[in-house]
Amino acid sequence: MDMDIHRRMASFVVKSNWFLFVVATLLGFINTPFKFALGILCGGILVTLNFHLLRHTLYKAFDPSKMEFSSRNMTPWQGRSILNAVLFKYYIRFAISGIVIFALINKNIVEPMGLIIGLSVVVASIMAATALELTRLIFKEAV
Amino acid sequence: MDFFTACVWAAGIAIGVAAFGCGIGQGMGLNGAVQGIARNPESSGKVTVTLLIGLAMIESLCIYALVVALILIYAHPQAADILKTIAGS
Repeated sequence: MDMDIHRRMASFVVKSNWFLFVVATLLGFINTPFKFALGILCGGILVTLNFHLLRHTLYKAFDPSKMEFSSRNMTPWQGRSILNAVLFKYYIRFAISGIVIFALINKNIVEPMGLIIGLSVVVASIMAATALELTRLIFKEAV
Repeated sequence: MDFFTACVWAAGIAIGVAAFGCGIGQGMGLNGAVQGIARNPESSGKVTVTLLIGLAMIESLCIYALVVALILIYAHPQAADILKTIAGS
């Protein structure tokens, strides 16, 4: 039951990420100036790719079939190496995002407010997933 | 202190504090997840999804801080007005 909620939330977040990204970009290009819409597009691509890379890193790091240890013989060193690998990849991703955002803002390619809206795509989809699950939970309890 | 120098200081301190806080937060979250999976490997799927969502939220905070810091340095909304004021006085 709980596992279903987790799987459902993960797939919802992944799907709604792309959906929100496409909708926000299209609305941006229709209703707002070009630089603003380009900001939404660039921010959306950046944060969605970041999210997928994070997902790939985490599933790879915590995949039980690929783990070379079981809970009985896991040493603190092995746990720490997983921690270090995930954090190292996080810093690499963050540095690349930083360089891209720096270039976009420094060269005045995009409008900063559009970029912030684009960067909010993942947060919005996570909020939507949480709201959906909460609504389901409340209605289930009411019934 | 010159206004723009103060902006650069603010941006530097902002991104430093944000990256430090996010690094600590992510490290603590990962630490908890690794310990949880080590104790109960069957819970790997649940923990990974929750961790993914948590880490994505934490990471976005740091990216917001980076954007605000870069706006302060390169795209300050009132930069032109402030320059005019400085030039006028």
